[in-house]
Amino acid sequence: MHIVPSGRRGRPKLALFTTLGVASVLTLAACSSSGSGSPSSSSSSSSGGSAKASGSATSGNITWWASPITTTSPDPRTVLIKAFEKAYPKIHVSLQSAPTDTDTNRASLITTISGGAKTPDVYMGDVIWPAQFGKAGLAVPLSKYLPKSYWNTFASGLVSGATYNGQVYGAPFYEDQGFLYYRKDLLAKEHLAVPKTWEQLKSEAAELKNKGLVKYGYVWQGASYEGLTCNFMEYLGSAGGTALNSGNTKATLDSAAGNQAATFMRSLITSGASPSAVTTFQEAQAMSAFATGQAAFLRNWDYGWSYAQTASSPSSVVGKVGVSPLPSFSGQPSPGTSNIGGWNLYINPHSKNVAADLTFIKWMTGTAAQTTLATQFSEIPTVQSVRTSPSVVSKNPVLATVPKTRLIPRPAGTPQYAKVSQAIYTNINSMLSGSSSPSSALKTAASQINSSVSSNGL
Amino acid sequence: MSTPPVAPSPGTAVTVPARPAPSRGRQDDVFRRQFARLGWGLSAPALILIAAVTIFPIGYAIAMSVTNVSATGSGFSLSGFTGHNYSVMFGAAQWRYALFFTVLYTVITVAVEVALGTLIALVLERLTAGRGWMMALLLIPWSMITVINAQLWGYIYNPTYGILDTIFSHIGLGTPVILGTRVPAIAALMVADIWKTTPFVAIIVLAGLVMLPQDLYDAAEVDGANGWTTFWRITFPQLRPTIALAVLFRVLQAFGLFDLPFVLTTGGPGYSTQPLAMLAYNTMFRDLDFGPGAAVATSTAALVVIGCLAFLRVFRAQVGDEA
Amino acid sequence: MRHRSRQGWRRVVNGVNIAALLVFLFIILPLYWMIASAFKTPTHVGSSPPQLFPHPLSVQNFNVAFSQNTFGRYIVNSIIVAVVATALVLILGTLAGYAMGRLPMRGKFSVLTILLMISVFPEIAVVVPLYALLRDIGWLNSYQALIIPYTAFFLPFAIWILRNYFLGIPHEMEESARIDGAGALRTIWTIILPQAWPGVFTAGIFTFTACWTEFLMALSFNVSNGYRTIPVGVALFGSQFTVPYGTIFAASVVAVVPIGILVFIFRRSVVSGLTAGAVKG
Repeated sequence: MHIVPSGRRGRPKLALFTTLGVASVLTLAACSSSGSGSPSSSSSSSSGGSAKASGSATSGNITWWASPITTTSPDPRTVLIKAFEKAYPKIHVSLQSAPTDTDTNRASLITTISGGAKTPDVYMGDVIWPAQFGKAGLAVPLSKYLPKSYWNTFASGLVSGATYNGQVYGAPFYEDQGFLYYRKDLLAKEHLAVPKTWEQLKSEAAELKNKGLVKYGYVWQGASYEGLTCNFMEYLGSAGGTALNSGNTKATLDSAAGNQAATFMRSLITSGASPSAVTTFQEAQAMSAFATGQAAFLRNWDYGWSYAQTASSPSSVVGKVGVSPLPSFSGQPSPGTSNIGGWNLYINPHSKNVAADLTFIKWMTGTAAQTTLATQFSEIPTVQSVRTSPSVVSKNPVLATVPKTRLIPRPAGTPQYAKVSQAIYTNINSMLSGSSSPSSALKTAASQINSSVSSNGL
Repeated sequence: MSTPPVAPSPGTAVTVPARPAPSRGRQDDVFRRQFARLGWGLSAPALILIAAVTIFPIGYAIAMSVTNVSATGSGFSLSGFTGHNYSVMFGAAQWRYALFFTVLYTVITVAVEVALGTLIALVLERLTAGRGWMMALLLIPWSMITVINAQLWGYIYNPTYGILDTIFSHIGLGTPVILGTRVPAIAALMVADIWKTTPFVAIIVLAGLVMLPQDLYDAAEVDGANGWTTFWRITFPQLRPTIALAVLFRVLQAFGLFDLPFVLTTGGPGYSTQPLAMLAYNTMFRDLDFGPGAAVATSTAALVVIGCLAFLRVFRAQVGDEA
Repeated sequence: MRHRSRQGWRRVVNGVNIAALLVFLFIILPLYWMIASAFKTPTHVGSSPPQLFPHPLSVQNFNVAFSQNTFGRYIVNSIIVAVVATALVLILGTLAGYAMGRLPMRGKFSVLTILLMISVFPEIAVVVPLYALLRDIGWLNSYQALIIPYTAFFLPFAIWILRNYFLGIPHEMEESARIDGAGALRTIWTIILPQAWPGVFTAGIFTFTACWTEFLMALSFNVSNGYRTIPVGVALFGSQFTVPYGTIFAASVVAVVPIGILVFIFRRSVVSGLTAGAVKG
């Protein structure tokens, strides 16, 4: 056991433990002196400016952190910045491109902002962040600066989704929501109607697949990630259920509606309407299955339209695609519910130019920018008047479908939403792959959610 | 800095064959002290730099793991000593599974990589022509950004247009959902890791092989030992420190597994491919639970160090037996 | 140099060679697949069944990587950061590795243990405090913001690697150099390093690739486009819902070129280690 060929056995061991011990004590001492407060001792006050800063500033430099919005050229971000600088020649905006992966993007922002950085001044963040970022002080409560009349310009539901504890933290920049895409050529060939109910969708998808017209019937996002929560919320909402109670204190998804939703999702796979590979699909995989003509139906966000209709995407189904609101369960109000996604604009609490930031945000959520986003880049505008304006509605069928949809938010009102969502998507994903039953998956999810919202779990 | 004319004994450097010190007693102690001073002098620049950069962040992370941390707009506030973060961690089924998964993953991938890497190294060592080219080629997977490696394998495993799917259906195996079920997903992850890392293990072992003294082989030749015996009786024992290094290195990396599942499986199905580092990351940066996240990170580091020390101890004792 | 003429040995060699060939194929095929896909047109990257050979050959993916994204800048940054950090690691690591491996220092095992601990500490947990540290000294968005942390975090393991290889070198020549009155630095330079080139090469490759592929620090510390490195650049490709495989693979093909060149330049290190052994033996 203790064979050490040197004559000095024993001693090094002793030295090891003493040194380790001393080192750890020193280390702890070092950080308790310097780390008791925050690593950023010299950070600015959290208000970052005076309360009179209401977006009237017309000069200054600001940095905007935003992930790529589309892959098209020109880049929508630079197009918008140019237009803004034209309107406000004395405000200079520099763009910092953020990672395309939303979680990586968030991790980077958390590191930066909690590390006390003054830039970026304005950042584009997911619609599910307000509660978490608001609670952690990573975003400025915009409602302190911007009047009610400003918030009233947005389509209903968007501002409430950006609100936490009575304060609005993010200005809705562009919206995403779920749609049903279908192959109108195949439906016409088989004389099938565009499905209005989930049951109908399932049988049509299975029929088209069984006839050999497509490899897969219906594709959607079933991988273990945030997108599955979005998909699940749509079935749940269509069945009339909710995930959390109104106070965000208790899980409500383990209900009859929840069971209907989960059982149906699993049956999509067992009936052959959806491939079992759907449990590994994120947006990209589902989209490419549809765009290469392998699937008859697709649940995806609004970008699905322009993707499927652009040959260079690559898409081989150009001109054969239809879009409609998502179906509902039979006996439930129609159409089904579409999940709200999309992006808000937030202000870094350490920003030195809150007034200029507000000017920028107001412009980006104004008519001109929103119209550009919709007409040039096919994004769903957040401003109600732009959303319903004829020039936008006539732009493409997705934008025309938007007013007909019924929206459902994710239960992101709690700062613990990330854990709530994880409880949903991990359990639903296991259930989809057949390793647990719908009812036990929902039970587990509910108990995990309950312990997360009371901050008791990992 | 002048050095005394007589070399010191190798001290605790156990892998060096023991050799009588040229002189003993008082004089030896003097030289020993002088050499020790020289040693610390030579190490100082590296150690000071390491300490300056790493002590504060690591200490801070350890401190976060034992205090109540709240993230605020102006950094973190740490208050009060608490064991809460660790008790949350120990109580979480996710952590226990992540620990199990990480250990399983480490043991299997490290064993396979070291075996395959040694195999490649033995062949490369005999290769006289084109070794440079082969090495350059072998190092491409290793030098690939892990995220890209994950994307590449995601592309290979892709259920709609992946090459593996096509191969499977061609040879009549149907179209298995590789990343959607637990065991295949874990295996798929391991394959991607083994693909990327085996070449580097081969390089580590090759460097060790090349540096082995020739005399022992000549002796074996004289004794008439065959190849297999030569490998197990001469090469392998001599190579043991190098293989130990390779194992050590791989264990460290495998325990830090993060990017690969983050991109390839996002931890799924369920959380069956979520390793400890990814759990720490998710806890800190997705859930903003910095205390428990720091606890996961700190305990992971502690576990790995304990594991490595135990491993080195066993390995060194064996070397000592034979010396 | 080595005489392996026995029948039994040869049989084993063949078995080993066949196994190695299989492993080699396993390594080469995915690589081929990546390179081939990089040269496919975007349509064919996602076609089913997949094309085995890119047809038509297309450099469109490379165009996207370099024109739509400032990938050239990222490559230059990565090279600067990785080369400087690797040089620092090798210089400091050789001195420390020599001391730890060949000089009798009381407590060096404690130091080595602490170094091990530093090199295993998950990066995730240190990024935030390190960020604050770099911010306070004003180093964010600079080369040193990456070079210094990389050097510090990759040095511990490099010391372990170097020490390990230094341990194996016989003492005789070192002693005779000492008797000739050579100082420590000269002994390292003229006696140790020539025999330990393979080890130095290994440590160098380890450090270089670690710097080359590091993501989290690079992402957090340098958000200005002028200082971003390749891994971060790749994370900016595409958009939220798309995985632009073609562009990523094209970028990756380009990103391995510097590594290939480096290995090719220094491949002699390993060969010269062999020669040194022969001279000595």
